[in-house]
Amino acid sequence: MPSYRSNRQPQKVTNALEQRDISLEANGVSVTFPIKSSPAGHLGENSNGRMVTNEKGELIAFRALEDVSFNLRQGDRLAIVGRNGSGKTTLLQVLAGILSPDQGRVTTWGRCTSLININLGIQPEATGHRNITLRGLAAGYSRQAIEEKREAIAKFSELGEFLKMPMEAYSAGMRMRLTFAIATAFDPELLVLDEWLSAGDSAFKRKATQRMQEFVRKAGILILASHNRELLLRNCNLCIWLDAGRVRKFGPAEETVQAYETYMRDMTQRMEQPDQVAKVVGAG
Amino acid sequence: MEAIRDLFQGLGQVSLWTTFAWDEIEHRYRRSYLGVIWIVLSYLIFVAAIAIFFGGFSAMENSRFTVYVAVNYAIFIFLIGNVTDGCDVFRVAQTWIKSAPIPHSVYIYKSIARSLFTFGINVTVALVLAFAMGWQITVYALFTIPALAVILLNTIWVQIVLGYLSARLRDLKHLVQAVTRVLFFTTPILWVREEREGLVGTIADLNPFTHFLEIFAAPLLGRYPHLGSWIIVGAITVCGYLLAIVVAGYSRKRLAYWL
Repeated sequence: MPSYRSNRQPQKVTNALEQRDISLEANGVSVTFPIKSSPAGHLGENSNGRMVTNEKGELIAFRALEDVSFNLRQGDRLAIVGRNGSGKTTLLQVLAGILSPDQGRVTTWGRCTSLININLGIQPEATGHRNITLRGLAAGYSRQAIEEKREAIAKFSELGEFLKMPMEAYSAGMRMRLTFAIATAFDPELLVLDEWLSAGDSAFKRKATQRMQEFVRKAGILILASHNRELLLRNCNLCIWLDAGRVRKFGPAEETVQAYETYMRDMTQRMEQPDQVAKVVGAG
Repeated sequence: MEAIRDLFQGLGQVSLWTTFAWDEIEHRYRRSYLGVIWIVLSYLIFVAAIAIFFGGFSAMENSRFTVYVAVNYAIFIFLIGNVTDGCDVFRVAQTWIKSAPIPHSVYIYKSIARSLFTFGINVTVALVLAFAMGWQITVYALFTIPALAVILLNTIWVQIVLGYLSARLRDLKHLVQAVTRVLFFTTPILWVREEREGLVGTIADLNPFTHFLEIFAAPLLGRYPHLGSWIIVGAITVCGYLLAIVVAGYSRKRLAYWL
């Protein structure tokens, strides 16, 4: 059963399934994380408005995303950039249907596969082969479809005999090879990836990029969060710059990545400046 | 409504939850020499010990009492197992819940399927034991079939309610553990409800497990189950599902945040 899915209006999806192109719409998406153990005490100035407090001033929640909206059509490849903690991973989880937004809605038309955290969604004590079956079933494919793809997955992952070993024995890079191979094997229509090549060696990176481009040629939707400028510009045509949970800029990839990097450079320089002043004073 | 849809969608993904369940069974007994035979052994050891030490608890003759305990104990540990598993059903699945949009009910069916496997083995052993002791199966045994169906229906709502609530309220699991320990003594497993009067009898009647045991075990042991027990179980089933719909409706979207 392919996961054609909408967070709020499922009936609409099944009715219109045939006529629609692959697309993704995010409308006013906000996500607030409840904080499990609320430590007492007042917040300092650097809370930049994302901390939610109760009347006693205790921290109760954290606004991870606020009012994020955009539309993607067939063939769009979206890059997501932003500093650590700006909400990139949360946005990916919402788009993949793993987290439900508190406000707003994500409507997806098409079969979505996500690869957000390579340590999640595997049974560490089960073998690589077993995990191919489990992840395939979890993504809604039949056993027959999985068996048809098994060899291709094994070949792409280059894991060979390791596939007969439990996955807890794998290195981070091996895990990534296998999960990436599975995620891309079933011709997903929407692919959501977070820092997907960080653990791979250069040969695998090249291979993965090739597969990415094949996927892009088939005109699916790709969503990719990364800090790697080259990777983003090679694979994406659109870009969202997230800043403290809000969309700071949304536009063509090159322009937006450039704006983000300029901003980051300025900020790093500003941070270094007091140092330089001190040096000048010291020299004088 | 989304909660109900989740239940049916999950039910449709049979091969996913059976694979998950089988994987867990395999994992539990992997690298032990006797493997799944341990299910049979641990059950037999318990029944034998009870039959030897507590035979005097009932006016029944010893072989009858052994069969009585064997059947009641099998169904009781199945029920209690579902209650305690229910508290952890989403927590043990959190790596999947946080990585793929799978219907939540898949984890519940997986958990039930796994305990049903153990239950099936235990009941088979109980029946073999019963026949070995000269027990005759009667036509009443047919009543066990609807009883089993209703019991399975109940395990679903119990796991939904406990699964969501204990994902949010971490104390619930400890409370449930404390209560289930007491339940072993207040449910007629080692003693016979009909032989008790007064406080013990009243407590047993107030205990829902008594009635679940009654509708399942009585026909196997060769008599009609009490109508009163069936009515109570029916009422519990309906109320339980209403509760489950409310709890799931509130919790479904929040679960990933709680884990």
